Amino acid sequence: MIPVLAAFAGGLTAQTIEQNARRVLDANCNACHGATAMSGLDLRTREAALKGGSRGPAVVPGNPSASLIYQAVLRQGDLKMPPGKQALSAADAATLKSWIEGGAAFTAPAAAAEPTWWSFKKPRRPAIPGSASANPIDALLKTAAPAADRRTLIRRATFDLHGLPPTPAETAAFVNDPDPKAYEKLVARLLGSPRYGERWGRLWLDVVRYADTGGYETDVLFPNAWRYRDYVIRSFNQDKPYDVFVQEQIAADEIWPDNLELDGSYDLPESKKKNLERRIGTSLYTLAAMPVEYSFFGDQLRAEWQAESVETTAAAFLGLTFNCARCHDHKFDPISQKDFYRLSAFFAGSEEREVPIVSQMRIFEYTRFQTKQVHVDDLRARYNGLKPGDKDGRETLLRQIGEAYVKTPRMYDKATLLVHTAPVPDTHVLQRGDWKNRGEKVLPGTPAALGPSPEIVEPPGNLFITQRRRALAQWLTSREHPLTARVMVNRIWQSHFGRGLAGTPNDFGRQGEAPTNPELLDWLAVEFMDRGWSMKEMHRQILMSSAYQARRRPQRIDAESIRDAVLAVSGTLNPDMYGPPVVTPLSEDEEDGMRDMSMWPITPDETQHDRRSIYMFVKRSFRLPMLDTFDAPDTSQSCARRDTSTVAPQALALMNSEWMSRQSARFAASLAKASDPVGEAWRRALARDPSGDERARAQSFLKESSLQRLCLMLFNMSEFIYVD
Amino acid sequence: MSTDPRRINPDEALRISRRQLLSSALGFPALAAAAVTDPLAPRKPPLAATAKNVIFLFMHGGPSHLETFDPKPALNELSGKLVPPSFGHVQLQFSKFNEQPIIGCRRTFRKHGHAGLEVSDIFPNVARRADDIAVIRSMYHDGFTHTAALNYLNNGWPRLGRPSLGSWIVYGLGSECQNLPAFVVMLDGGIKSGPPAYGAGFLPAVYQGTTLREGASPILNLKPPRGVGESDQRTMLESLRWFNEQHLASHAGETELEARISSYELAFRMQTAAPELADLSRETAATRKLYGLDQEHTSAFGGKCLMARRLVERGVRFVQVWSGGTTGEGDWDGHKQCDKNHVKMAAKTDQPVAALLEDLKARGLLESTLVIWGGEFGRTPTSDGSLNGGGDSEGRDHNPYGFTIWMAGGGVKGGKVIGRTDEIGLRAIEDPIHVHDLHASILHFLGMDHTKLTYPFQGRDFRLTDVHGSIDLAKRLMA
Repeated sequence: MIPVLAAFAGGLTAQTIEQNARRVLDANCNACHGATAMSGLDLRTREAALKGGSRGPAVVPGNPSASLIYQAVLRQGDLKMPPGKQALSAADAATLKSWIEGGAAFTAPAAAAEPTWWSFKKPRRPAIPGSASANPIDALLKTAAPAADRRTLIRRATFDLHGLPPTPAETAAFVNDPDPKAYEKLVARLLGSPRYGERWGRLWLDVVRYADTGGYETDVLFPNAWRYRDYVIRSFNQDKPYDVFVQEQIAADEIWPDNLELDGSYDLPESKKKNLERRIGTSLYTLAAMPVEYSFFGDQLRAEWQAESVETTAAAFLGLTFNCARCHDHKFDPISQKDFYRLSAFFAGSEEREVPIVSQMRIFEYTRFQTKQVHVDDLRARYNGLKPGDKDGRETLLRQIGEAYVKTPRMYDKATLLVHTAPVPDTHVLQRGDWKNRGEKVLPGTPAALGPSPEIVEPPGNLFITQRRRALAQWLTSREHPLTARVMVNRIWQSHFGRGLAGTPNDFGRQGEAPTNPELLDWLAVEFMDRGWSMKEMHRQILMSSAYQARRRPQRIDAESIRDAVLAVSGTLNPDMYGPPVVTPLSEDEEDGMRDMSMWPITPDETQHDRRSIYMFVKRSFRLPMLDTFDAPDTSQSCARRDTSTVAPQALALMNSEWMSRQSARFAASLAKASDPVGEAWRRALARDPSGDERARAQSFLKESSLQRLCLMLFNMSEFIYVD
Repeated sequence: MSTDPRRINPDEALRISRRQLLSSALGFPALAAAAVTDPLAPRKPPLAATAKNVIFLFMHGGPSHLETFDPKPALNELSGKLVPPSFGHVQLQFSKFNEQPIIGCRRTFRKHGHAGLEVSDIFPNVARRADDIAVIRSMYHDGFTHTAALNYLNNGWPRLGRPSLGSWIVYGLGSECQNLPAFVVMLDGGIKSGPPAYGAGFLPAVYQGTTLREGASPILNLKPPRGVGESDQRTMLESLRWFNEQHLASHAGETELEARISSYELAFRMQTAAPELADLSRETAATRKLYGLDQEHTSAFGGKCLMARRLVERGVRFVQVWSGGTTGEGDWDGHKQCDKNHVKMAAKTDQPVAALLEDLKARGLLESTLVIWGGEFGRTPTSDGSLNGGGDSEGRDHNPYGFTIWMAGGGVKGGKVIGRTDEIGLRAIEDPIHVHDLHASILHFLGMDHTKLTYPFQGRDFRLTDVHGSIDLAKRLMA
């Protein structure tokens, strides 16, 4: 085969051969072996190609079989290029062969690096086929399916946007609304409700591996993590533009600098409050799982923190997996180990700190009560010094400690944020990721494959306050960036359709799945930016498409929606928003596997236990069993997509757990006065009336069993946790 | 296209229906189709297997190799002295290695069995099974804290987030038993690294371990709440099935909904099977005595070991039995009086462990069951004095640089010793076996190639053994 092609190629001019070879190299090799110079190999000039990379010369002019590049594309040895499943075509391989045979000429300069991988190219607005009045999403999808009925639609949209079922009144109002714009009004109502932020905030918390504790043996409490959770909920509810949302989380302190100093007033001025709120976004970088107990050195913890910051930034905002590049060049994507550390250098000079978020006056007020704290400490010391067996002394002191403690004012509010350190520590490439093994010193920079790096001008010496994260945030949110908008609209699409247009939302690289409809993904990305990065606008666009309103396969709701729906249908959901995490009681059996119950401080106010799942305590070493069994995310890394497993322990949890038994009793109690308990139960749980057959079955069930058991059965129905 | 059923994208596989799959031209083997409809359906191992099931006896806290299976006479000669500098330095959690005195060993070792395996006097019963056991004295890794080490042994990686050994195995082989969970864990109080030790990490949750307790309700939520009788339960299940089938009828071909109906049937079967399993009174008096159920100090661990045998008898793939826990009555973490601690822990476990080996063998189950004994690390030759405010407490610090585990059954030829630590038992110096090698070898016994058992996550095909692991250990254990 190859000799024939080679003979054919032999008829071409040297210039054509070079042009063809250049085309093959540009399309297949230069993304990694151009400016990124993976493994040290740069194929843009003859000189660099002859010199080669870490494996030696890539091209031996006149001798294809001795040229590494040719051996690699033939995939006969250890080295198989391009990486991944797709080998070079025989024709392209033959082109390279004849080019090398002819002396590997590089007469023209290499074309300006034009990315070849789909996700590294800037999204462009595609032409919309068909009539101008058609919904662009439908026009680009080119599919038509019959529309779902209104009951299905309101249930679908309410679960999608609120993570809750519609109430019977809401369902009836929508189903019977004669207005042709009824659906549009429904979408607007759902997007305007604060329940929206609680649902979509939870989806974002998956992406940023949110938890209230640090994991591992110590599993330290993050006392202010919940402020970040609340910030996320508020951001979604305010429809904060996504570019601003990104900027705040990465660099609010640098973009909206403000001091928190005394200004004479008790309450902070609005401007300070606003900037503080933005800065709570940076808590994102203070929530990582951290093996505190085996990090004995400041440098080690810092290296861990910087690396984790890169991995989370890459997964959440870039939709790329950088983890591999911590130890070596990425094997599939044009991300070198140096790129990893250049990206990590954006975070050098920053560290987390717990800071007051109240005025200096309030801090002063607190410190005046310092003596009371000292008194408590004194009493504690005396208690610890008691002789064993001194029962009376113990009781007296315990009472005194309790009284003194109650009189001591609570600590003022704090948040854990990113702040700056000076001098700014140098960042080095760490050989094999080992913090002790420092290699080349690097400055902040973004991967060459993603276009030009932002320019950062820093004064000489290390005694400056960095503006590095600001540069990173602005680079990420530039309209020129190929990934940021695409990655987010894909997440939004996934949460509405159960699957992203690109099936691997945290991996837009070569190991990920290519988008099923790249034009639509591009259209959504450009539209997203054109509409001011408004997430609510994207929901509206998607929900108004016929594709969304079509009949579709049922999808299981997620763990939090199941728990919240049970509470909502039982009529016991406590709608309070925000605040410190709620710790719910566990059954005795559930406590198995808990390391230490003292690390599970149950919230005393029982009404709090019925709040939405997003407000529940997220403990890295122990997930709430009810949520765990329905595939709540492991919070050690960014979660791009939930599994939906179907296993027997789910059935056992829904049928037999104490919690379900209690909720079904409350559901039944709330139906006691209803004139038609069966119909009302159906309407609340399933947003529809029971059919005649169903009603008859339910009535005969009630004869043998109880209303509570009927309620429990409703919670166990597939229809309850699947949405059409 | 690979023919290994585990090479299909499993995330997808759980969603593609059988019909779609069979009609596709992709040519997956029939096994894959079974895996699609039931992720726990039994799968034939791709390679020749010598073991079908695994029982991992996990000694939580880190049992000392020096007091158990790796005698070091030099310790008594050097007792009270600092470690000679020729042994080099190691990082420890609680003490500075080169500032602490060596602690002598109070145990007596004798040779047992045909091969003369050396076992300490705290394990008189296990010693009688010496010909079944292969001792690996050269285990090592670099996690010197409990969590890092527990994660290594259980998840193959010191960090959070990786699937556990048991979940990888069940992902690879499915389960032979459809009435019980495929991967069962029996705890003895909490684990220092928490439930991730038996979690599924990034694998689907269906592969995670299920904790099993003794008593009437051995599995979480197995029994209906108080006041609900079996007939009430059956009435509800019958009605529920009717409603769910109505729902399925309007969603024809939705395998997830079919699977959901089956999951209720399995749950119901479990309600019968699990209490039957946990009912140890069905065993003969002789068997119960063998495991030490008649003695206070051995009855707890003995019950778990007996349950482990009953589980593998029923085809459960992976059983992990824990000795020691954070909320139980102590563990093997021999700070302060390591020797006393081990005498106490050994007294609880020695007879049950020996009984398990004997009983499995008598029933012909040992041939197909790989039994592993070990903890997250061993202990230092030196005192952990800094922890306890003095060098005289005879506590030993954590030592991941050289420690012992043993294996039996499932193709392991007993009566042998593999590897060697240095004169003071600090580091593995001959035939060092990393945890990755242990894991690769466990998969090899089960007929799986550790480089092929992969799962795509975050842009990479992940393995239990990361990019490491050798099966030399398995080959030597089989020879």
